Amino acid sequence: MNPGTVLPTVEKHITQEQIGKYAEASGDFNPIHIDPAFAAKTQFGGTIAHGMMVAANISEMMSAAFGHAWADSGKLKIRFRAPVRPGDTVTAFGEVKSVRETDAGNEITCTVGIRRQDGENAIVGDASVIN
Amino acid sequence: MPVDFSTLAVGYNLSRQSFTLDTDTVERCVDAVQDRSGLYDATAGLPIAPPMCVAALALRGVLDALGIPEGAVHAGQEQDFLAAVPVGATLECSATVAQNSTRGAWRFVAVNMEVHDTGHRKVMTAKCTIMTPA
Repeated sequence: MNPGTVLPTVEKHITQEQIGKYAEASGDFNPIHIDPAFAAKTQFGGTIAHGMMVAANISEMMSAAFGHAWADSGKLKIRFRAPVRPGDTVTAFGEVKSVRETDAGNEITCTVGIRRQDGENAIVGDASVIN
Repeated sequence: MPVDFSTLAVGYNLSRQSFTLDTDTVERCVDAVQDRSGLYDATAGLPIAPPMCVAALALRGVLDALGIPEGAVHAGQEQDFLAAVPVGATLECSATVAQNSTRGAWRFVAVNMEVHDTGHRKVMTAKCTIMTPA
């Protein structure tokens, strides 16, 4: 891979049911995610997906692109910039930013993020992997 | 009992918890995020867990220890995956406070996590930043 290579995207439709499943799987029952009445009174005006649930799509994209190398050597640094709500469609995107030779192999660094259907980036950051 | 975030000093050992990546737990994680990467392959001889599943379960111990207040928001996350973790592995996550500051109406608490397997091999490090009303 060379700088400028675009990674295959991963697209998901977010539902309250999936958010509920993630709460059960992760043990994160913050009402901002699962209690519509509570969430309606917050600055978000309704429930939002767990950040880690949405970020998992970046990890899925990196796994698809780099296989086991992602699990063995992946690094991810992200900021959660905007909420993802039930009904949103999100797309994980990535582009190779640099390739650097190291003793362990080529370190490939990508700009990554999650974009909502309205064009706003919900998550932005970098991911790198030794490949 | 929720922790009083204003009293958390940098370096404070927040928690040390063990968890097991059993098949049911991993499959619930994979189903919840609809991971279709194929990295988790239940038919493999020794299936490996998706890294973000390991991260989510490590974070669970931190959330339990902190007693995250209602309305708290996850502001940032850094992950270093150092080794693939097979399904069935038992891991230990230790968490320490890395930062505690206020900005405007918000308090930012960052927690460093280190995850080791039973062979004392470090398999993941992470830094999680949580934002709560100050």
